[in-house]
Amino acid sequence: MTRRIGILRALAGATVLLTALTACGESGSSSGSSGSSSSSGGDTIAADLVLGGPPEFENRTDGIPGLQKTYGVSFGDFRKLDAGGPLTINALKTGQIDAADIFTTDPSIATNGFVVLEDPKNLYAAQNVVPLINKDKATDGVKATLNAVSAKLTTDDLIDLNEKVINEKQDPAAVAKAWLADNGLDATGTQAAGTTLTVGSANFQENVVLANIYAQALQAQGATVNTQLNIGSRETYMPGLQDGSIDLIPEYTGVLLQFFDKNSSAVSSEEVYAALPSVLPANLIVLDQSQAEDKDAIVVTKETAQKYDLKSIADLAGKP
Amino acid sequence: MNDNVFVWLNDPQNWAGTRFTAGIVDQIVAHLWYTVIGLVIAFVIGFPLGLVLGHSGRAGWLVSLANGLRSLPAVGLLILLYVVVSPLITGRGDLVYLVPTEIVLVLLALPAILANTYAGVRNVEPAARDAAHGMGMTERQVLLQVELPNALPLIFSGVRSATLQVIATATIAAYVGLGGLGRFIYDGLASHRFGEMAGGAVLVAALALLVDLTLALVQRYTVSPGVTGRFSRRATRADSRTAAVTEQVASEAATD
Repeated sequence: MTRRIGILRALAGATVLLTALTACGESGSSSGSSGSSSSSGGDTIAADLVLGGPPEFENRTDGIPGLQKTYGVSFGDFRKLDAGGPLTINALKTGQIDAADIFTTDPSIATNGFVVLEDPKNLYAAQNVVPLINKDKATDGVKATLNAVSAKLTTDDLIDLNEKVINEKQDPAAVAKAWLADNGLDATGTQAAGTTLTVGSANFQENVVLANIYAQALQAQGATVNTQLNIGSRETYMPGLQDGSIDLIPEYTGVLLQFFDKNSSAVSSEEVYAALPSVLPANLIVLDQSQAEDKDAIVVTKETAQKYDLKSIADLAGKP
Repeated sequence: MNDNVFVWLNDPQNWAGTRFTAGIVDQIVAHLWYTVIGLVIAFVIGFPLGLVLGHSGRAGWLVSLANGLRSLPAVGLLILLYVVVSPLITGRGDLVYLVPTEIVLVLLALPAILANTYAGVRNVEPAARDAAHGMGMTERQVLLQVELPNALPLIFSGVRSATLQVIATATIAAYVGLGGLGRFIYDGLASHRFGEMAGGAVLVAALALLVDLTLALVQRYTVSPGVTGRFSRRATRADSRTAAVTEQVASEAATD
Protein backbone atom coordinates (compact mmCIF):
# COMPACT_ATOMS: atom_id res chain seq x y z
CA MET A 1 0.00 0.00 0.00
CA THR A 2 2.76 2.44 0.85
CA ARG A 3 3.87 2.95 -2.73
CA ARG A 4 0.45 4.44 -3.42
CA ILE A 5 1.52 7.41 -1.35
CA GLY A 6 3.90 8.39 -4.12
CA ILE A 7 1.12 8.63 -6.70
CA LEU A 8 -1.20 10.33 -4.30
CA ARG A 9 1.39 13.01 -3.60
CA ALA A 10 1.94 13.61 -7.29
CA LEU A 11 -1.75 13.77 -8.09
CA ALA A 12 -2.43 15.97 -5.09
CA GLY A 13 0.25 18.33 -6.36
CA ALA A 14 -1.37 18.70 -9.74
CA THR A 15 -4.90 18.89 -8.35
CA VAL A 16 -4.12 21.46 -5.69
CA LEU A 17 -2.39 23.58 -8.31
CA LEU A 18 -5.29 23.39 -10.74
CA THR A 19 -8.05 23.95 -8.21
CA ALA A 20 -6.20 26.83 -6.58
CA LEU A 21 -5.70 28.57 -9.89
CA THR A 22 -9.16 27.88 -11.23
CA ALA A 23 -10.81 29.02 -8.04
CA CYS A 24 -9.17 32.43 -8.04
CA GLY A 25 -10.06 32.81 -11.69
CA GLU A 26 -13.73 31.97 -11.34
CA SER A 27 -14.32 34.43 -8.56
CA GLY A 28 -13.22 37.19 -10.89
CA SER A 29 -14.91 36.20 -14.11
CA SER A 30 -18.09 38.04 -13.38
CA SER A 31 -16.65 41.24 -12.05
CA GLY A 32 -14.15 42.66 -14.42
CA SER A 33 -12.72 40.56 -17.19
CA SER A 34 -13.30 43.27 -19.74
CA GLY A 35 -12.22 46.18 -17.62
CA SER A 36 -15.30 48.03 -18.66
CA SER A 37 -18.91 48.15 -17.68
CA SER A 38 -21.96 48.86 -19.74
CA SER A 39 -24.12 51.82 -18.96
CA SER A 40 -27.37 51.51 -17.18
CA GLY A 41 -30.36 52.48 -19.27
CA GLY A 42 -30.16 55.74 -21.22
CA ASP A 43 -32.59 56.38 -24.04
CA THR A 44 -30.33 57.92 -26.67
CA ILE A 45 -29.02 56.19 -29.77
CA ALA A 46 -25.48 56.43 -28.41
CA ALA A 47 -26.45 54.52 -25.26
CA ASP A 48 -27.11 51.45 -27.43
CA LEU A 49 -23.76 51.72 -29.18
CA VAL A 50 -20.21 50.71 -28.34
CA LEU A 51 -17.43 53.16 -29.20
CA GLY A 52 -13.87 52.08 -29.93
CA GLY A 53 -10.81 54.30 -29.84
CA PRO A 54 -7.33 54.83 -28.42
CA PRO A 55 -6.92 54.43 -24.63
CA GLU A 56 -6.42 58.16 -23.98
CA PHE A 57 -9.78 58.90 -25.65
CA GLU A 58 -11.49 58.19 -22.32
CA ASN A 59 -10.01 61.32 -20.76
CA ARG A 60 -9.02 63.47 -23.74
CA THR A 61 -10.71 66.89 -23.87
CA ASP A 62 -12.11 66.08 -27.30
CA GLY A 63 -12.69 62.41 -26.39
CA ILE A 64 -15.50 61.02 -24.25
CA PRO A 65 -15.75 64.17 -22.04
CA GLY A 66 -15.88 66.35 -25.17
CA LEU A 67 -18.60 64.24 -26.83
CA GLN A 68 -20.66 64.54 -23.64
CA LYS A 69 -20.05 68.25 -23.17
CA THR A 70 -20.39 69.44 -26.76
CA TYR A 71 -23.07 67.10 -28.09
CA GLY A 72 -24.58 65.45 -25.00
CA VAL A 73 -23.51 62.13 -26.52
CA SER A 74 -22.72 59.35 -24.08
CA PHE A 75 -21.92 55.93 -25.53
CA GLY A 76 -23.16 52.74 -23.87
CA ASP A 77 -19.65 51.35 -23.69
CA PHE A 78 -16.14 52.28 -24.69
CA ARG A 79 -13.58 49.74 -25.88
CA LYS A 80 -9.95 50.78 -25.67
CA LEU A 81 -8.20 49.73 -28.88
CA ASP A 82 -5.62 51.63 -30.93
CA ALA A 83 -5.33 55.02 -32.62
CA GLY A 84 -7.11 54.32 -35.90
CA GLY A 85 -4.99 51.19 -36.42
CA PRO A 86 -5.80 47.64 -37.49
CA LEU A 87 -7.57 46.76 -34.21
CA THR A 88 -10.07 49.60 -34.42
CA ILE A 89 -10.74 49.15 -38.14
CA ASN A 90 -11.25 45.39 -37.74
CA ALA A 91 -13.48 45.76 -34.70
CA LEU A 92 -15.70 48.22 -36.57
CA LYS A 93 -15.75 46.11 -39.71
CA THR A 94 -16.75 42.95 -37.85
CA GLY A 95 -19.30 44.65 -35.60
CA GLN A 96 -17.57 44.31 -32.24
CA ILE A 97 -17.86 48.08 -31.95
CA ASP A 98 -20.50 50.30 -33.58
CA ALA A 99 -18.61 53.57 -33.77
CA ALA A 100 -14.91 54.39 -33.82
CA ASP A 101 -12.49 57.25 -33.51
CA ILE A 102 -10.59 57.09 -36.81
CA PHE A 103 -8.58 59.62 -38.80
CA THR A 104 -10.44 61.22 -41.70
CA THR A 105 -7.71 60.39 -44.23
CA ASP A 106 -7.78 56.68 -43.46
CA PRO A 107 -8.28 54.85 -46.79
CA SER A 108 -10.17 52.05 -44.98
CA ILE A 109 -13.12 54.43 -44.55
CA ALA A 110 -13.79 54.33 -48.28
CA THR A 111 -12.77 50.67 -48.64
CA ASN A 112 -15.32 49.55 -46.05
CA GLY A 113 -18.01 52.11 -46.80
CA PHE A 114 -17.78 53.63 -43.31
CA VAL A 115 -19.71 56.85 -42.71
CA VAL A 116 -17.87 59.83 -41.21
CA LEU A 117 -20.26 61.72 -38.94
CA GLU A 118 -20.25 65.47 -39.40
CA ASP A 119 -18.91 67.64 -36.63
CA PRO A 120 -20.98 70.87 -36.87
CA LYS A 121 -19.84 72.19 -33.49
CA ASN A 122 -16.14 71.70 -34.27
CA LEU A 123 -15.40 69.34 -31.41
CA TYR A 124 -12.34 68.34 -33.39
CA ALA A 125 -10.03 71.28 -34.01
CA ALA A 126 -8.82 71.91 -37.55
CA GLN A 127 -5.79 69.84 -38.57
CA ASN A 128 -4.56 71.38 -41.80
CA VAL A 129 -1.27 70.12 -43.17
CA VAL A 130 1.35 72.82 -42.85
CA PRO A 131 5.16 72.92 -43.31
CA LEU A 132 6.94 73.68 -40.02
CA ILE A 133 10.36 75.10 -40.89
CA ASN A 134 13.45 76.61 -39.31
CA LYS A 135 13.30 80.39 -39.84
CA ASP A 136 16.91 80.53 -41.13
CA LYS A 137 16.17 78.07 -43.92
CA ALA A 138 12.93 79.69 -45.07
CA THR A 139 14.32 81.74 -47.94
CA ASP A 140 11.85 83.27 -50.37
CA GLY A 141 12.55 80.48 -52.87
CA VAL A 142 11.96 77.75 -50.29
CA LYS A 143 8.75 79.45 -49.16
CA ALA A 144 7.47 79.80 -52.72
CA THR A 145 8.22 76.12 -53.45
CA LEU A 146 6.48 74.79 -50.33
CA ASN A 147 3.54 77.20 -50.61
CA ALA A 148 2.98 75.92 -54.15
CA VAL A 149 2.74 72.40 -52.74
CA SER A 150 0.30 73.49 -49.99
CA ALA A 151 -1.85 75.30 -52.54
CA LYS A 152 -2.45 72.03 -54.42
CA LEU A 153 -2.75 69.55 -51.54
CA THR A 154 -6.30 68.45 -50.65
CA THR A 155 -7.84 66.01 -48.16
CA ASP A 156 -8.79 63.71 -51.05
CA ASP A 157 -5.13 63.71 -52.06
CA LEU A 158 -4.17 62.56 -48.56
CA ILE A 159 -6.69 59.70 -48.70
CA ASP A 160 -5.36 58.73 -52.13
CA LEU A 161 -1.72 58.91 -50.98
CA ASN A 162 -2.54 56.79 -47.92
CA GLU A 163 -4.37 54.28 -50.07
CA LYS A 164 -1.24 53.86 -52.19
CA VAL A 165 1.34 53.58 -49.41
CA ILE A 166 -0.74 51.74 -46.77
CA ASN A 167 -3.05 49.46 -48.76
CA GLU A 168 -1.04 49.00 -51.93
CA LYS A 169 2.35 49.09 -50.14
CA GLN A 170 3.87 51.38 -52.75
CA ASP A 171 7.16 53.15 -52.08
CA PRO A 172 6.46 56.56 -50.44
CA ALA A 173 9.15 58.27 -52.54
CA ALA A 174 7.60 56.99 -55.79
CA VAL A 175 4.10 57.97 -54.63
CA ALA A 176 5.37 61.46 -53.77
CA LYS A 177 7.00 61.77 -57.19
CA ALA A 178 3.81 60.76 -58.98
CA TRP A 179 1.76 63.28 -56.97
CA LEU A 180 4.16 66.12 -57.84
CA ALA A 181 4.01 65.16 -61.52
CA ASP A 182 0.18 64.98 -61.49
CA ASN A 183 -0.01 68.46 -60.00
CA GLY A 184 2.55 70.04 -62.35
CA LEU A 185 5.01 70.64 -59.52
CA ASP A 186 7.86 68.54 -60.91
CA ALA A 187 9.32 71.22 -63.20
CA THR A 188 12.98 71.85 -62.35
CA GLY A 189 14.14 75.33 -61.42
CA THR A 190 16.60 77.26 -59.29
CA GLN A 191 14.25 78.94 -56.81
CA ALA A 192 15.69 77.15 -53.79
CA ALA A 193 19.29 76.81 -55.05
CA GLY A 194 22.02 77.22 -52.44
CA THR A 195 19.89 76.08 -49.48
CA THR A 196 20.73 72.92 -47.56
CA LEU A 197 17.89 71.39 -45.54
CA THR A 198 17.19 68.31 -43.48
CA VAL A 199 13.60 67.15 -43.90
CA GLY A 200 12.19 65.01 -41.12
CA SER A 201 8.95 63.08 -40.68
CA ALA A 202 6.92 61.43 -37.95
CA ASN A 203 6.62 57.66 -37.89
CA PHE A 204 3.41 57.17 -39.84
CA GLN A 205 3.04 56.66 -43.56
CA GLU A 206 1.07 59.77 -44.44
CA ASN A 207 3.68 62.00 -42.83
CA VAL A 208 6.48 60.13 -44.59
CA VAL A 209 4.87 60.71 -48.00
CA LEU A 210 4.35 64.39 -47.22
CA ALA A 211 8.00 64.74 -46.18
CA ASN A 212 8.98 63.06 -49.46
CA ILE A 213 6.83 65.53 -51.38
CA TYR A 214 8.48 68.51 -49.64
CA ALA A 215 11.95 67.04 -50.15
CA GLN A 216 11.45 66.28 -53.84
CA ALA A 217 9.84 69.64 -54.59
CA LEU A 218 12.78 71.43 -52.98
CA GLN A 219 15.31 69.23 -54.78
CA ALA A 220 13.66 70.02 -58.10
CA GLN A 221 14.19 73.68 -57.28
CA GLY A 222 17.91 73.19 -56.67
CA ALA A 223 18.08 72.78 -52.88
CA THR A 224 20.38 70.21 -51.27
CA VAL A 225 18.09 67.99 -49.21
CA ASN A 226 18.87 65.37 -46.57
CA THR A 227 16.03 63.29 -45.20
CA GLN A 228 15.51 61.82 -41.76
CA LEU A 229 12.22 59.98 -42.01
CA ASN A 230 10.20 57.96 -39.49
CA ILE A 231 11.76 59.75 -36.52
CA GLY A 232 8.95 59.04 -34.08
CA SER A 233 6.28 60.98 -32.28
CA ARG A 234 6.12 64.74 -31.81
CA GLU A 235 7.89 64.48 -28.44
CA THR A 236 10.81 62.83 -30.23
CA TYR A 237 11.26 65.07 -33.26
CA MET A 238 10.37 68.46 -31.82
CA PRO A 239 13.68 68.83 -29.90
CA GLY A 240 15.47 68.15 -33.21
CA LEU A 241 13.61 71.03 -34.83
CA GLN A 242 14.36 73.30 -31.91
CA ASP A 243 18.10 72.57 -31.88
CA GLY A 244 18.37 72.82 -35.68
CA SER A 245 19.26 69.20 -36.51
CA ILE A 246 16.00 69.00 -38.49
CA ASP A 247 14.90 71.98 -40.56
CA LEU A 248 11.53 71.06 -42.01
CA ILE A 249 8.70 68.68 -41.16
CA PRO A 250 5.08 68.29 -42.31
CA GLU A 251 2.83 69.21 -39.39
CA TYR A 252 -0.88 69.49 -38.59
CA THR A 253 -2.11 72.84 -37.28
CA GLY A 254 -4.41 71.71 -34.46
CA VAL A 255 -2.06 69.25 -32.76
CA LEU A 256 0.87 71.61 -33.24
CA LEU A 257 -1.05 74.35 -31.42
CA GLN A 258 -2.07 71.93 -28.65
CA PHE A 259 1.55 70.81 -28.27
CA PHE A 260 2.73 74.30 -27.39
CA ASP A 261 -0.48 75.66 -25.83
CA LYS A 262 -2.52 73.07 -23.96
CA ASN A 263 -5.27 75.55 -23.11
CA SER A 264 -5.91 76.86 -26.59
CA SER A 265 -9.58 76.99 -27.50
CA ALA A 266 -9.13 77.74 -31.21
CA VAL A 267 -11.06 75.26 -33.40
CA SER A 268 -11.61 76.59 -36.94
CA SER A 269 -8.84 76.46 -39.55
CA GLU A 270 -8.42 80.24 -39.53
CA GLU A 271 -8.37 80.57 -35.73
CA VAL A 272 -5.87 77.76 -35.27
CA TYR A 273 -3.56 79.01 -38.00
CA ALA A 274 -3.70 82.56 -36.64
CA ALA A 275 -2.86 81.37 -33.12
CA LEU A 276 0.19 79.37 -34.19
CA PRO A 277 2.93 82.02 -34.69
CA SER A 278 2.66 83.34 -31.14
CA VAL A 279 3.14 79.93 -29.51
CA LEU A 280 5.90 78.45 -31.71
CA PRO A 281 9.52 78.48 -30.48
CA ALA A 282 11.45 81.54 -31.73
CA ASN A 283 13.41 79.66 -34.43
CA LEU A 284 10.40 77.99 -36.03
CA ILE A 285 7.70 79.31 -38.37
CA VAL A 286 4.84 77.78 -40.31
CA LEU A 287 4.35 78.52 -44.02
CA ASP A 288 0.96 78.63 -45.80
CA GLN A 289 -1.43 75.95 -44.64
CA SER A 290 -2.98 73.59 -47.16
CA GLN A 291 -6.67 72.78 -47.22
CA ALA A 292 -5.81 69.12 -46.67
CA GLU A 293 -6.90 67.94 -43.22
CA ASP A 294 -6.21 64.79 -41.26
CA LYS A 295 -8.21 64.81 -38.07
CA ASP A 296 -10.16 62.65 -35.65
CA ALA A 297 -13.67 61.72 -36.65
CA ILE A 298 -16.43 59.59 -35.21
CA VAL A 299 -17.08 56.94 -37.83
CA VAL A 300 -19.88 54.36 -38.03
CA THR A 301 -20.64 51.55 -40.45
CA LYS A 302 -23.06 52.17 -43.29
CA GLU A 303 -25.60 49.81 -41.67
CA THR A 304 -25.52 51.67 -38.36
CA ALA A 305 -25.84 55.02 -40.14
CA GLN A 306 -28.90 53.79 -42.08
CA LYS A 307 -30.48 52.06 -39.10
CA TYR A 308 -30.47 55.19 -36.95
CA ASP A 309 -30.42 57.75 -39.78
CA LEU A 310 -27.11 59.25 -38.62
CA LYS A 311 -25.43 62.14 -40.38
CA SER A 312 -23.74 64.12 -37.64
CA ILE A 313 -22.41 63.42 -34.17
CA ALA A 314 -25.34 65.39 -32.78
CA ASP A 315 -27.77 62.77 -34.16
CA LEU A 316 -26.31 60.26 -31.70
CA ALA A 317 -27.95 62.13 -28.83
CA GLY A 318 -31.40 61.60 -30.40
CA LYS A 319 -33.90 58.90 -29.50
CA PRO A 320 -33.61 55.58 -31.32
CA MET B 1 -0.57 67.28 -10.85
CA ASN B 2 1.64 65.07 -8.77
CA ASP B 3 2.39 62.25 -11.16
CA ASN B 4 4.19 59.53 -9.28
CA VAL B 5 3.59 55.91 -8.52
CA PHE B 6 2.93 56.35 -4.79
CA VAL B 7 0.33 59.03 -5.33
CA TRP B 8 -1.33 56.85 -7.97
CA LEU B 9 -1.42 53.77 -5.75
CA ASN B 10 -2.86 55.79 -2.85
CA ASP B 11 -5.62 57.43 -4.84
CA PRO B 12 -8.92 55.73 -3.93
CA GLN B 13 -10.27 56.65 -7.38
CA ASN B 14 -7.82 54.24 -8.97
CA TRP B 15 -9.02 51.38 -6.77
CA ALA B 16 -12.68 52.15 -7.49
CA GLY B 17 -12.31 52.64 -11.23
CA THR B 18 -14.11 54.91 -13.67
CA ARG B 19 -17.16 54.34 -15.82
CA PHE B 20 -15.28 52.57 -18.60
CA THR B 21 -12.20 51.35 -16.75
CA ALA B 22 -12.37 48.99 -13.78
CA GLY B 23 -10.37 49.68 -10.61
CA ILE B 24 -7.20 48.00 -9.41
CA VAL B 25 -8.81 45.06 -7.58
CA ASP B 26 -11.03 44.14 -10.54
CA GLN B 27 -8.08 44.43 -12.90
CA ILE B 28 -5.96 42.13 -10.70
CA VAL B 29 -8.78 39.57 -10.77
CA ALA B 30 -9.09 39.91 -14.54
CA HIS B 31 -5.31 39.58 -14.87
CA LEU B 32 -5.31 36.37 -12.82
CA TRP B 33 -8.18 35.05 -14.88
CA TYR B 34 -6.29 35.52 -18.18
CA THR B 35 -3.25 33.93 -16.56
CA VAL B 36 -5.17 30.91 -15.25
CA ILE B 37 -6.88 30.16 -18.56
CA GLY B 38 -3.57 30.29 -20.42
CA LEU B 39 -1.72 28.18 -17.87
CA VAL B 40 -4.40 25.52 -17.52
CA ILE B 41 -4.60 25.01 -21.29
CA ALA B 42 -0.80 24.92 -21.58
CA PHE B 43 -0.61 22.46 -18.67
CA VAL B 44 -3.27 20.16 -20.08
CA ILE B 45 -1.30 19.99 -23.33
CA GLY B 46 2.29 20.18 -22.10
CA PHE B 47 2.23 18.01 -18.97
CA PRO B 48 0.91 14.71 -20.42
CA LEU B 49 2.91 15.22 -23.61
CA GLY B 50 6.09 15.85 -21.61
CA LEU B 51 5.45 12.72 -19.49
CA VAL B 52 4.92 10.47 -22.50
CA LEU B 53 7.82 11.88 -24.53
CA GLY B 54 10.12 11.83 -21.51
CA HIS B 55 9.24 8.25 -20.65
CA SER B 56 9.58 6.92 -24.18
CA GLY B 57 12.60 9.10 -24.92
CA ARG B 58 11.24 9.68 -28.40
CA ALA B 59 10.55 12.89 -30.33
CA GLY B 60 12.99 15.03 -28.39
CA TRP B 61 12.99 17.34 -31.40
CA LEU B 62 9.38 18.25 -30.58
CA VAL B 63 10.56 19.65 -27.25
CA SER B 64 13.28 21.68 -28.98
CA LEU B 65 10.69 22.94 -31.43
CA ALA B 66 8.37 23.97 -28.60
CA ASN B 67 11.30 25.75 -26.97
CA GLY B 68 11.57 27.88 -30.07
CA LEU B 69 8.12 29.27 -29.25
CA ARG B 70 9.69 31.20 -26.39
CA SER B 71 11.12 33.67 -28.87
CA LEU B 72 7.73 34.64 -30.35
CA PRO B 73 7.10 38.40 -30.45
CA ALA B 74 3.97 38.44 -28.31
CA VAL B 75 2.34 41.73 -29.32
CA GLY B 76 2.97 41.25 -33.03
CA LEU B 77 1.48 37.77 -32.91
CA LEU B 78 -1.47 39.08 -30.91
CA ILE B 79 -2.41 41.67 -33.52
CA LEU B 80 -1.97 39.17 -36.33
CA LEU B 81 -4.17 36.63 -34.55
CA TYR B 82 -6.78 39.27 -33.77
CA VAL B 83 -7.03 40.25 -37.43
CA VAL B 84 -7.37 36.57 -38.36
CA VAL B 85 -9.86 35.70 -35.61
CA SER B 86 -12.08 38.80 -35.61
CA PRO B 87 -14.15 37.92 -38.71
CA LEU B 88 -14.88 34.47 -37.25
CA ILE B 89 -16.37 35.61 -33.95
CA THR B 90 -19.22 38.08 -34.06
CA GLY B 91 -20.91 39.86 -31.21
CA ARG B 92 -19.81 42.44 -28.73
CA GLY B 93 -18.44 40.19 -26.00
CA ASP B 94 -14.85 39.80 -24.86
CA LEU B 95 -14.41 36.48 -26.64
CA VAL B 96 -13.03 37.88 -29.85
CA TYR B 97 -10.28 39.66 -27.90
CA LEU B 98 -9.79 36.83 -25.42
CA VAL B 99 -9.13 34.05 -27.95
CA PRO B 100 -6.06 35.66 -29.60
CA THR B 101 -4.72 36.71 -26.19
CA GLU B 102 -5.01 33.21 -24.75
CA ILE B 103 -3.42 31.63 -27.82
CA VAL B 104 -0.39 33.85 -27.32
CA LEU B 105 -0.24 33.09 -23.58
CA VAL B 106 -0.55 29.34 -24.16
CA LEU B 107 2.24 29.43 -26.74
CA LEU B 108 4.45 31.21 -24.23
CA ALA B 109 3.61 28.93 -21.29
CA LEU B 110 3.81 25.67 -23.20
CA PRO B 111 7.61 25.43 -23.76
CA ALA B 112 8.56 25.76 -20.08
CA ILE B 113 6.00 23.17 -18.94
CA LEU B 114 6.70 20.72 -21.76
CA ALA B 115 10.49 20.98 -21.66
CA ASN B 116 10.73 20.71 -17.88
CA THR B 117 8.34 17.75 -17.65
CA TYR B 118 10.28 16.04 -20.43
CA ALA B 119 13.66 16.77 -18.84
CA GLY B 120 12.39 15.82 -15.38
CA VAL B 121 11.27 12.39 -16.54
CA ARG B 122 14.33 11.83 -18.75
CA ASN B 123 16.72 12.60 -15.93
CA VAL B 124 15.34 10.23 -13.34
CA GLU B 125 18.14 8.09 -11.91
CA PRO B 126 18.43 5.06 -14.27
CA ALA B 127 19.04 2.81 -11.26
CA ALA B 128 15.63 3.75 -9.84
CA ARG B 129 13.96 3.05 -13.16
CA ASP B 130 15.77 -0.29 -13.49
CA ALA B 131 14.82 -1.25 -9.97
CA ALA B 132 11.18 -0.47 -10.71
CA HIS B 133 11.30 -2.56 -13.87
CA GLY B 134 13.04 -5.31 -11.98
CA MET B 135 10.21 -5.37 -9.48
CA GLY B 136 7.86 -6.11 -12.34
CA MET B 137 6.18 -2.70 -12.60
CA THR B 138 4.41 -1.99 -15.87
CA GLU B 139 5.55 0.95 -18.00
CA ARG B 140 2.57 2.90 -16.72
CA GLN B 141 3.49 2.15 -13.11
CA VAL B 142 7.12 3.12 -13.72
CA LEU B 143 6.02 6.42 -15.19
CA LEU B 144 3.42 7.36 -12.59
CA GLN B 145 4.95 5.84 -9.45
CA VAL B 146 8.67 6.30 -9.98
CA GLU B 147 9.43 8.81 -12.71
CA LEU B 148 6.69 11.34 -11.98
CA PRO B 149 7.40 11.76 -8.24
CA ASN B 150 11.10 12.08 -8.98
CA ALA B 151 10.48 14.58 -11.76
CA LEU B 152 8.18 16.79 -9.67
CA PRO B 153 10.82 19.36 -8.63
CA LEU B 154 11.66 20.06 -12.30
CA ILE B 155 8.00 20.02 -13.34
CA PHE B 156 7.22 22.56 -10.64
CA SER B 157 10.09 24.71 -11.75
CA GLY B 158 8.63 24.62 -15.28
CA VAL B 159 5.16 25.54 -14.09
CA ARG B 160 6.55 28.36 -11.98
CA SER B 161 8.62 29.88 -14.76
CA ALA B 162 5.66 29.55 -17.14
CA THR B 163 3.47 31.29 -14.56
CA LEU B 164 5.89 34.18 -14.20
CA GLN B 165 6.13 34.56 -17.95
CA VAL B 166 2.36 34.47 -18.40
CA ILE B 167 1.66 36.95 -15.60
CA ALA B 168 4.14 39.36 -17.13
CA THR B 169 2.86 38.84 -20.67
CA ALA B 170 -0.85 38.94 -19.78
CA THR B 171 -0.41 42.73 -19.78
CA ILE B 172 -0.81 42.58 -23.56
CA ALA B 173 -4.49 41.68 -23.09
CA ALA B 174 -5.02 45.40 -22.53
CA TYR B 175 -3.59 46.09 -25.98
CA VAL B 176 -6.62 44.46 -27.59
CA GLY B 177 -9.25 46.19 -25.51
CA LEU B 178 -9.38 43.79 -22.57
CA GLY B 179 -8.57 44.61 -18.96
CA GLY B 180 -5.91 43.29 -16.62
CA LEU B 181 -3.04 45.20 -15.09
CA GLY B 182 -1.72 46.03 -18.56
CA ARG B 183 -4.67 48.44 -18.79
CA PHE B 184 -2.83 50.86 -16.48
CA ILE B 185 0.41 50.48 -18.40
CA TYR B 186 -1.13 51.16 -21.83
CA ASP B 187 -3.48 53.89 -20.55
CA GLY B 188 -0.65 55.60 -18.67
CA LEU B 189 1.55 55.51 -21.75
CA ALA B 190 -1.18 56.82 -24.08
CA SER B 191 -2.19 59.64 -21.73
CA HIS B 192 1.36 60.51 -20.57
CA ARG B 193 0.43 59.67 -16.98
CA PHE B 194 3.64 57.97 -16.00
CA GLY B 195 2.67 57.42 -12.36
CA GLU B 196 -0.18 55.22 -13.57
CA MET B 197 2.16 53.39 -15.93
CA ALA B 198 4.70 52.70 -13.19
CA GLY B 199 1.88 51.76 -10.81
CA GLY B 200 0.66 49.10 -13.25
CA ALA B 201 4.18 47.73 -13.64
CA VAL B 202 4.71 47.59 -9.86
CA LEU B 203 1.43 45.73 -9.41
CA VAL B 204 2.38 43.18 -12.07
CA ALA B 205 5.71 42.54 -10.36
CA ALA B 206 4.05 42.25 -6.93
CA LEU B 207 1.42 39.87 -8.28
CA ALA B 208 4.07 37.73 -9.95
CA LEU B 209 6.06 37.44 -6.71
CA LEU B 210 2.97 36.62 -4.68
CA VAL B 211 1.81 33.90 -7.06
CA ASP B 212 5.31 32.42 -7.25
CA LEU B 213 5.49 32.34 -3.46
CA THR B 214 2.15 30.52 -3.36
CA LEU B 215 3.39 27.97 -5.88
CA ALA B 216 6.60 27.52 -3.86
CA LEU B 217 4.46 26.62 -0.84
CA VAL B 218 2.36 24.19 -2.87
CA GLN B 219 5.58 22.63 -4.14
CA ARG B 220 6.97 22.26 -0.63
CA TYR B 221 3.97 20.25 0.52
CA THR B 222 3.49 18.10 -2.58
CA VAL B 223 7.00 17.04 -3.53
CA SER B 224 8.37 14.11 -1.55
CA PRO B 225 10.98 15.26 0.99
CA GLY B 226 13.17 12.40 -0.18
CA VAL B 227 13.31 13.89 -3.67
CA THR B 228 14.01 17.46 -2.69
CA GLY B 229 16.80 16.65 -0.24
CA ARG B 230 14.99 18.06 2.76
CA PHE B 231 15.04 14.48 3.92
CA SER B 232 18.82 14.16 3.72
CA ARG B 233 19.50 14.34 7.45
CA ARG B 234 17.77 11.03 7.87
CA ALA B 235 18.84 9.56 4.58
CA THR B 236 21.80 7.27 4.77
CA ARG B 237 22.66 7.49 1.09
CA ALA B 238 24.64 10.35 -0.40
CA ASP B 239 22.31 10.62 -3.39
CA SER B 240 19.09 11.86 -1.91
CA ARG B 241 17.30 11.97 -5.26
CA THR B 242 16.82 8.23 -5.11
CA ALA B 243 15.98 8.24 -1.41
CA ALA B 244 12.24 8.30 -1.94
CA VAL B 245 12.34 5.36 -4.27
CA THR B 246 14.72 3.33 -2.15
CA GLU B 247 12.58 4.03 0.85
CA GLN B 248 9.53 2.89 -1.04
CA VAL B 249 11.26 -0.19 -2.38
CA ALA B 250 12.54 -1.04 1.08
CA SER B 251 9.17 -0.66 2.76
CA GLU B 252 7.55 -2.57 -0.08
CA ALA B 253 9.98 -5.41 0.51
CA ALA B 254 9.27 -5.31 4.23
CA THR B 255 5.50 -5.53 3.74
CA ASP B 256 5.85 -8.40 1.32
